[in-house]
Amino acid sequence: MRFNLAKLTSREQRFRPLTWDVIIIVLLVVLLITGSLINPAFLTAFNFSLMLPNIGEILLIAMPMTLLIIAGEIDLSVASIVGLSGVIFGLTYQNGLNIWLAAFLGVIVGVLCGAVNGILVARIGLGSLAVTIATLALYRGFATAAMGNKSVTDFPESWTNFGYSTIGDTFLPQTYPIIILFVLIFGVLTHLSIFGRRTFAIGQNVEAARFAAISVLNHKIILFMLTGAMSGVAGVIYVLRISTAQYDNAMGLELAIIATALLGGVSIFGGVGTIWGVAAAAVLFGSLEALFNLQAISPNIFTIVTGSLLIGSVMIPLLLGRINFMRVERSRMSKSEAGQL
Amino acid sequence: MSQKITSLPRANFILKSKELIRTRESGIFLVLILVSVATTLMNPRFISGYGLSDLLLNTAMIGCLAVGLTPVVIARHIDLSIASATGFSAFVTAHIIVGQGWGVIPAFFVGACVGAVIGAVNGVLIAGLRLPSLVVTLGTLYIIRGIDYQFANNKQFTAEKLPTELVDLAQDKIFGVPILFCLVLLLALFGMWWMKFTRFGRDLYAIGSNPPAAEIVGIKVFSRTLFAFVWCGTLAGIAGVMYLSIYAIVDSSAFLNQELIVVTAVVIGGINIFGGVGTIVGALLGAVLLRVLIGALVALGVAQFWQQAINGLLLLIAIGIDRFLSRRSETKIERIRAEKKVQTP
Repeated sequence: MRFNLAKLTSREQRFRPLTWDVIIIVLLVVLLITGSLINPAFLTAFNFSLMLPNIGEILLIAMPMTLLIIAGEIDLSVASIVGLSGVIFGLTYQNGLNIWLAAFLGVIVGVLCGAVNGILVARIGLGSLAVTIATLALYRGFATAAMGNKSVTDFPESWTNFGYSTIGDTFLPQTYPIIILFVLIFGVLTHLSIFGRRTFAIGQNVEAARFAAISVLNHKIILFMLTGAMSGVAGVIYVLRISTAQYDNAMGLELAIIATALLGGVSIFGGVGTIWGVAAAAVLFGSLEALFNLQAISPNIFTIVTGSLLIGSVMIPLLLGRINFMRVERSRMSKSEAGQL
Repeated sequence: MSQKITSLPRANFILKSKELIRTRESGIFLVLILVSVATTLMNPRFISGYGLSDLLLNTAMIGCLAVGLTPVVIARHIDLSIASATGFSAFVTAHIIVGQGWGVIPAFFVGACVGAVIGAVNGVLIAGLRLPSLVVTLGTLYIIRGIDYQFANNKQFTAEKLPTELVDLAQDKIFGVPILFCLVLLLALFGMWWMKFTRFGRDLYAIGSNPPAAEIVGIKVFSRTLFAFVWCGTLAGIAGVMYLSIYAIVDSSAFLNQELIVVTAVVIGGINIFGGVGTIVGALLGAVLLRVLIGALVALGVAQFWQQAINGLLLLIAIGIDRFLSRRSETKIERIRAEKKVQTP
């Protein structure tokens, strides 16, 4: 009963249906313009330097999450992986390991966590929602057991500076070259590579993908490992940004990450989604929060707006789908009339 | 021939009891008893009178929420806003009854109404507009919590302000069972009845097993799903009032981020996250088992830090067993079918 936009576009090339990822970019532009009109401090470098680090980790994890949701799975354990890899990074560094190796180990832990998720979901065939709720508790539990109530804070200054200061006098935080690089990589991976096409194929129709000789199970495991790896990277960056490794780092971040992905126009049913939409959604979140801060509007309203946008992200495409459908029908009717004449 | 007929009730009884033993619920019950007995042997204080009633009181809230969420999950939906609804109704109820000077029964009524309204909003969006429940309830999770923060405005109600009858209610017992847990049992009994014996409940199983098929055979998917969400919201509201009674303090962050624990209890109780399978008894047992295990870990002196990891492991084992059992029954059905095919020609 679901409305299939892709099918319609192939039939009627003339109409480009308005999709949510386009709307979100328009919304972002509108927000930036109105924001700068309302408050001159909004579009300043300083404001952006405050805003961007907050959305860094969300953006990093939302991108592989996009691929995962496109393939029809979900991972709720990402925030726990962020916590666990941060803890491992902190502990191994404290015990005298080279900091580069410690950071690498943090990422590796993320990959392993993702692999466990992937094997449980793809090989053993358990539902990803239930599995990742379980591993959410499991990984956070490991982090808690390893770290206890303590925390590691004595990181070298050059590394913590990397976490929160900006490049020279520009507004760009030092972490952003890495993050932008990852956005580009994921953009290419999702939209211009065979890997991405296969992901979409799996999300659109698993059976058809299997018949097209796509190794669905391995593909899903790789997607989970990718998500785990990015969560590991985000975990290390998170620790550096707040200069603290403790067990409750990024607690509850998973819902914000999934909200970002969905707000960026990724369909929860799989098969539909774009990286630029998700990136725009992350920036939209960040700049909306920054604007609310500047205008001294209570963050409670921001929470309400977030929820409303989420519901809007599924409701508006539904309405747009109807409108597109009507447009196509009308053009078809006028065409057939023309044919009769 | 006649002998066969007379022995039918007996055979039926044996068959029924065999079936009962084989159900998922009795499996959970068995694990529950095993864990309790093992823990009591190692630490006799675990199950002594005070410990047991304390345990049941602690289970009351999660149990209530699990009973509420079960019909929704059976209909192949999910409600992530359940914890926000609980926190919100706890605060609103406190606000209203403190303002009006009302007692216990109006408190539960107010809480249930607040919850029902939230459930109805979710239900209309999901069943009426056919939006995906995961996204919608993730949205309402934020919206309700945001309204809660805005409405509460850093205020809080403490035990001095709340009516004393309500705060004392958590300590009251019937035959040693906390009265709040009795309330949960009552709600669960009602839920069991309508899920098992009414058309309404059976329709929910049909919807969860195969949504398009349910639509085609003419099941009123909208009203059934809407009711499941209203039920879920109402029980979340009642759980909110229990929160007031048990903790005797409420602010805007009451029950924050607890939604996944409720889902955990439901899944441990044998309700399939893909819908169509499970019972309310199972959900209640799942909630109790979750609590008993936490209690057992404390009684055995396992470091508190390991508790969450063990919870996660338990959930993994639960869904693993589910998968194993369903695969076994699938192969069994396949085999029977294959045999029949051989016989027919």
